[in-house]
Amino acid sequence: MSEPLFLFDLLLALAVVAIAAAALLVRDAFAMIVLFVVFGLLSALAWVRLAAPDVALAEAAIGTGLTGALLLKTLHHLRARGMAGWEPGAAAPRPVPRAVASLNAGLTLAVVAGLGVAILGSPLRVTGLEIAVAEAMPLSGVDNPVTAVLLNFRAYDTLMEVVVLLAAIIVVWQVERGADAAPAPSLGPIWQGFARLTLPAAAIVGVYLLWAGAEAPGGAFQGGAMLAAIGLMLLLTGLYRPHPDHRATARLLFVLGTVAFAAVALLVAGAGRASFEYPQGHAKTLILLIEGLVTISIAVTLTALFHGREPAALKGELRHDP
Amino acid sequence: MTGPDWLTLSIMLPLFGAVAAFILPRAAAGLGLATVAATTLCVLMMADRVAAFGAVTVPLGGWGAPLGIELRADGLSVAMLALTGMVGLLVSVSAIDAFAGDRTARQRHYFWPLWLLLLSGLNGVYLGTDLFNLYVMIEIIALAAVGLTVLGGTREALRAGLDYVYASILGALLFLLGVGLIYLQLGRLDFAGVIAAPPSAAMTAALAVMFVGLALKTALFPLHVWLPAAHANAAAPASALLSGLVVKGALYIVLRLAGYMPALTEDILTLIGLMGAGAVIWGGIQALRADRLKLLVAWSTVAQIGLIFVALARAGERGLSDSWKAAALLILAHGIAKAAMFLAAGRIKDEVGHDRIRDLDRSPIRPTLAQVTFALAAINLIGLPPSLGFIGKWQLMEGAMMAGYWHWVAITMIGTLFSVAYFSRVLAGFLRFDRVRGGPLAEHHGWSGADAAPLILAGAAVLLGLAAGPIIAFIDLGAGGAMP
Repeated sequence: MSEPLFLFDLLLALAVVAIAAAALLVRDAFAMIVLFVVFGLLSALAWVRLAAPDVALAEAAIGTGLTGALLLKTLHHLRARGMAGWEPGAAAPRPVPRAVASLNAGLTLAVVAGLGVAILGSPLRVTGLEIAVAEAMPLSGVDNPVTAVLLNFRAYDTLMEVVVLLAAIIVVWQVERGADAAPAPSLGPIWQGFARLTLPAAAIVGVYLLWAGAEAPGGAFQGGAMLAAIGLMLLLTGLYRPHPDHRATARLLFVLGTVAFAAVALLVAGAGRASFEYPQGHAKTLILLIEGLVTISIAVTLTALFHGREPAALKGELRHDP
Repeated sequence: MTGPDWLTLSIMLPLFGAVAAFILPRAAAGLGLATVAATTLCVLMMADRVAAFGAVTVPLGGWGAPLGIELRADGLSVAMLALTGMVGLLVSVSAIDAFAGDRTARQRHYFWPLWLLLLSGLNGVYLGTDLFNLYVMIEIIALAAVGLTVLGGTREALRAGLDYVYASILGALLFLLGVGLIYLQLGRLDFAGVIAAPPSAAMTAALAVMFVGLALKTALFPLHVWLPAAHANAAAPASALLSGLVVKGALYIVLRLAGYMPALTEDILTLIGLMGAGAVIWGGIQALRADRLKLLVAWSTVAQIGLIFVALARAGERGLSDSWKAAALLILAHGIAKAAMFLAAGRIKDEVGHDRIRDLDRSPIRPTLAQVTFALAAINLIGLPPSLGFIGKWQLMEGAMMAGYWHWVAITMIGTLFSVAYFSRVLAGFLRFDRVRGGPLAEHHGWSGADAAPLILAGAAVLLGLAAGPIIAFIDLGAGGAMP
């Protein structure tokens, strides 16, 4: 290990812990979110250093980018609804007494220490399923082991993760109609020009991430998150305005990935093959088909999660107009 | 594996049903009921195979564990699937009535996709043999369950739903932490690998973290704080699903893992039993104090879940190979009876107009069918013969007595006394007529088709006790490989 990189890793590790502590200690909600985003970016960097570029991409795109946007949107809602203590610059409410907080911290530390002793005291198995994955790779239809695990060896898990996202948007659409409308956050007209310039580039990056997933780090979740960033820009600049008439289309796009994935999984069965067992020679085609459709669903779902409510709850189109 | 793959179908059918109900909201109820019926049919076909061949395994993707994921159905899995199917079908029937009409159109449109996703997740848990896969499934269950909790849209329901989200996510994260630790130790996550693992401090620590996560999800005392409000404030069919089925998912994983704990020592089992005993007593006290019918029923869930953990600990380490059967029987009995009881409580609230226990005997309106349903469910939960609950408690106490653990017998007795006391508060209100105010007595009020489903459930819970022998034999099928 070369000396400068070791120093970098050390600083990175310290910075991650310091930023995490700062995010917990700071009282201003906006600062908290900014620190969270910085924390996410540094964690993504740490994943790169741990030779896990797929995780790094997911952390940067979803864990940091989209989650940060969702948190900011929530803050916007809270401020618009005049929640006490959430005005700009105001301190967040502090309902937890200091004694309780310290007791919790002490107990958590004790549990973590106990776990640490138990784990470090036992011999770790350094190899997981790497050997089994390497042996099965030629049959998987793709060259990136991560994609092979996600879309072939453990496709069932991945399908169900896509379903988790579907469940999330169904719950959000259902819940949000109960709340009062808050004015949507929007950016000024200058941003529309910015959007026109950057969106095509973002679209290319998103599709590239999806396509590259077959051989290199990347894939449906990362590509979908990138494309969702476009959706966010479209919403924020007002280039796209959700309308109740779009609901049927939106619902179809939400379920597209789940349906395609599940249908392929069931239809390939038969003739001695189990569900999810792709016929030989067709694995790559089917995986790309699934990934492509899942990417669309992920992008649209993440965008809709950012928008929040089912468009029917819009009290007219007024709140977007000046 | 020859013939149709009933295992995969029983997970995929509700998934497709949920999608169909979501994109066609107007037809949601019909699609939903048809899907639940078809899924239950799948489970029956699966039960037939398991009865004939013992455990059935499907290697998804053809890879086989530990690289791929396998689905496995044995007696216990099928029993849980059958419970889910039976309760699900009857709750679905009553949901059609509960969400009929324009006022509840929005609830109807969202109930069905959420409930079908929940069904898919539950069936996935009961068939899963891979720890990471179980994590994904409990996430689906959690999201769908939270959606069902807040379906009514009231402020209380939203508040309870938020608490539920926090508890549920924390529980899932703890479970995931344990899964990660196990992968570090073993390099695999399938059940077979976990069974074969040599006992070590790290494995115990990992399983302990997972247990705490699951205890949070199944609301074991003292991690139960989110449950009463969540279950009491949901719409009646949602409450029935949440209390009857959802908490059973995490309970089932505990039951499975209990067989694999490499170092499930006497001390740990006693601790689990003590948590259960705490739930029995605290849940009983709170149920006695509850002012609302649905809150009382929700607190009784806390107590009954505690009893299931007492059953797991009833005979200590040596008796564990039998104790899980007593716990499984209590799970089945509670699932059916509690769903019936919540549906009945919802019917009573609808007809009477409120569910304040104190004022139930003042109301001139007496929805007798719903009251009979409530009483039958109470018989089952108290554990009077010949109900399934009676058989479960009998098994619990028999095992505890044979092992000489009289303290668990005493806890069971105390729990039974508590349940007699708090259910009597309600039943006495049903039977008193001397305090009626505001008009002539309207007995047999509100007899409707909506009473049929809960009544069938409650009746089944009582009568299934007569079939306890075959049920115990069935849940033992194929257990050799998974329940060492």
